[in-house]
Amino acid sequence: MKRGNEESITRALNEIWPRVKKKHLFPQIPTPVVGENDEAVAIEMKDKQIILNQRVCEKLAEEMPREDVIEALLDHGTSHYTYCPWDLSTHLFLYSETKQVIKDPEMVKRVTGYFMDIVGNTYCVKEKGTKIPELYKYLERQSHTFQRTELDKVISSLYQRIWGVNLDVSGYNDLSGRLSRIPYLDKDRWSKSIKSFARIIRPLLESEKEKTAGDGNSQNTMGDHGLSGYSEEEIEDGLREFAGKTGNPEEFKEMVSDFEDELKDLGFGETGGMGRGHGESIDADLLFYMKLAEHFNIPIQKIPMEKSGSMHPHSHTPWEVGRPFQDIDIWTSFGKIIPGITQVWNKREGEIFGEMEGTPDCIIVIDSSGSMVNPTKNLSYAVLGAGCASDAYLRSDSRVAVYNFSDAAAGGKQLLDFSRNRKEVYGTLCRYFGGGTNLKLKDLEVLRRKSKTDIFIITDMQITNLEKVIDYFSEIDNRVTAVYIGRHNRYAKRFEEATQKRKNIALYNVDKKEDIPSIVLGKIKEYFRMAS
Amino acid sequence: MKNPFVRFKDYESCKREIPLDGIIRSKDIVIDKLVAGYENIVEEEVKSLVWVVERSRLMETYSKAKEVISDLEYTAEDIEEFCYELDSNERLPYLITGPSGIYISALCNHAKETEITLKLNELKRKMHLIGYQLPEGKRLIVEGDMGNFIGTRLEGGELIIEGCVKDWVGAGMRKGKITVRKYAGYHTAEWMMDGEIWVEGKIRGIGKIINGKVYEMGKPANPSYSSSPSYEGYIR
Repeated sequence: MKRGNEESITRALNEIWPRVKKKHLFPQIPTPVVGENDEAVAIEMKDKQIILNQRVCEKLAEEMPREDVIEALLDHGTSHYTYCPWDLSTHLFLYSETKQVIKDPEMVKRVTGYFMDIVGNTYCVKEKGTKIPELYKYLERQSHTFQRTELDKVISSLYQRIWGVNLDVSGYNDLSGRLSRIPYLDKDRWSKSIKSFARIIRPLLESEKEKTAGDGNSQNTMGDHGLSGYSEEEIEDGLREFAGKTGNPEEFKEMVSDFEDELKDLGFGETGGMGRGHGESIDADLLFYMKLAEHFNIPIQKIPMEKSGSMHPHSHTPWEVGRPFQDIDIWTSFGKIIPGITQVWNKREGEIFGEMEGTPDCIIVIDSSGSMVNPTKNLSYAVLGAGCASDAYLRSDSRVAVYNFSDAAAGGKQLLDFSRNRKEVYGTLCRYFGGGTNLKLKDLEVLRRKSKTDIFIITDMQITNLEKVIDYFSEIDNRVTAVYIGRHNRYAKRFEEATQKRKNIALYNVDKKEDIPSIVLGKIKEYFRMAS
Repeated sequence: MKNPFVRFKDYESCKREIPLDGIIRSKDIVIDKLVAGYENIVEEEVKSLVWVVERSRLMETYSKAKEVISDLEYTAEDIEEFCYELDSNERLPYLITGPSGIYISALCNHAKETEITLKLNELKRKMHLIGYQLPEGKRLIVEGDMGNFIGTRLEGGELIIEGCVKDWVGAGMRKGKITVRKYAGYHTAEWMMDGEIWVEGKIRGIGKIINGKVYEMGKPANPSYSSSPSYEGYIR
């Protein structure tokens, strides 16, 4: 019997879906399917797939035509992809705005979900011609069956007011009156709107939380809105955009912790917490800088072509007596050895990619002393800049080694050998010591000798052994990209003066995030040939 | 060439007017008017770097605010929304907390409702002078912590602050009742003429009271001591 019902719902779904799809202007989402679970949730969304709950559909179809139920649910689900939230970035934006009013993550998720439902439903009612009002009317009539909470009733009362339809809900005039003043369909005002919405319904949520403290069961009949509704690419994009939008590692970390379980299910943070530094897991910081760095693309100056030293035939000239026979081109000499007729090959030195072809490896030297920003607390341009540089080398199939230093002589340092593992690289970059600033050049030399490599150093230049560092960079032939953070100071000036005649050293300043893309890695004032 | 959009030729948008559109339109008009009224009263005040709270200045600003809002029709929700507009600083280039408090008080005092609840818990800034000249028969409930000079020159109304207040609460109040659910700052009830102030938490300092009663944590707290009184303060 159950199987028969499922088939008939699927049949109806297949008939209705093309119509709904056309109504919503052909969104790029897969054909919805029918599923079953015991929860009183009518609709679920996983990886952009709408799944209708057969049990709830059947229950709803007892009083409403089945086609209308399916169409209304499909309108509702589709509106989340076509209008609100549209993408994960908007979802996270709404979430973070709500977080400014309510701190409890579960409540914030509920508020965000309800807000998105109201926007989506109201959009359908206003612009698409939908059976959603009839669906809500029935849900309210069967409020016990569908475990409708007080908040659900308030929302229905709001719908009654803003859609101008009778949903048989009485009471809640004060709350619905306040809620009806919110411009749900004005995207530009969603930031303020969701905050007002959260402020108004917060007391209700709090009292509901107290009531349901025992069973914790307060589901949204129209489904919850988690990260599972989005595809993997959307989650990657969403996190990247959110990192760019917030620019604040703490806020990003808070959001990641709120969605930790869902993100873990989706494969994020598989390497586990770094657990280094002060014993806190900084996975979220790592993710923040990884995502933020994806906004920037630093170019790398490739090493120009080198002459290989081998000769190759280039052109013909007539043979003369005394010239070696081995250069004779027998095919164009007609088998004869006669001056003027016989031709010899002129040979030239070949130009091919030599030993240093493409992009070399890179040692990233990052200053994490007390004068630098703590990357876990505030946006660190040093970590971001170093992250962007690492990404540029990793994208070019090169390897990156990291030398993170503070007071290196006293052990305040962390080294990562040449690696292609982005998480390891960022893990080392995000480490913050917060002590003095001393660079141990022997450590750097050990890394430098392992590979022919570029060097990228990012610091505020307030290094206690700056003179030694300058001498060291003046002696080596590797390409050095030095970046100093913050305003021009006397240390940076000293470095600039001492290295300005060196053709292998380029100096940049990063005072704001936007300065990062102007760095050209490995840029040299004049082509400098690596000593082979 | 075949028109690639021919497939959508028969598509008709079902867009229709819903009550929400009308509600938002009329609400926006009211808020615009409230904002314009505020801009009107702060035009002059903005020239002062520091807004000094003195009797004549308060009276003058209040009279101007009354004049500006005399023709406006608004509700308590509009006042609350206007407070958040002020706080967000998006539409209003400047917020001078003194005149803005007087303006909000004037709005409350002349609203149709006899009981007004303002949920201001999420304001980033503390509002001053809320409840200024609250008349008899009015009840104003404010949720959230407030700034200085709350309930100044109260005229018989009932003011309830569901949070803390800073200094000078009830300064020069004539009659009526102020209830503060949490703490009050220095100079509480300075130059109070009559009425009652109930502070459910602690009071940091009581001013020179002429008449009236002050209660701290349910007990009478009329002063045996007084902090340095001078009915003049500065709002930056």
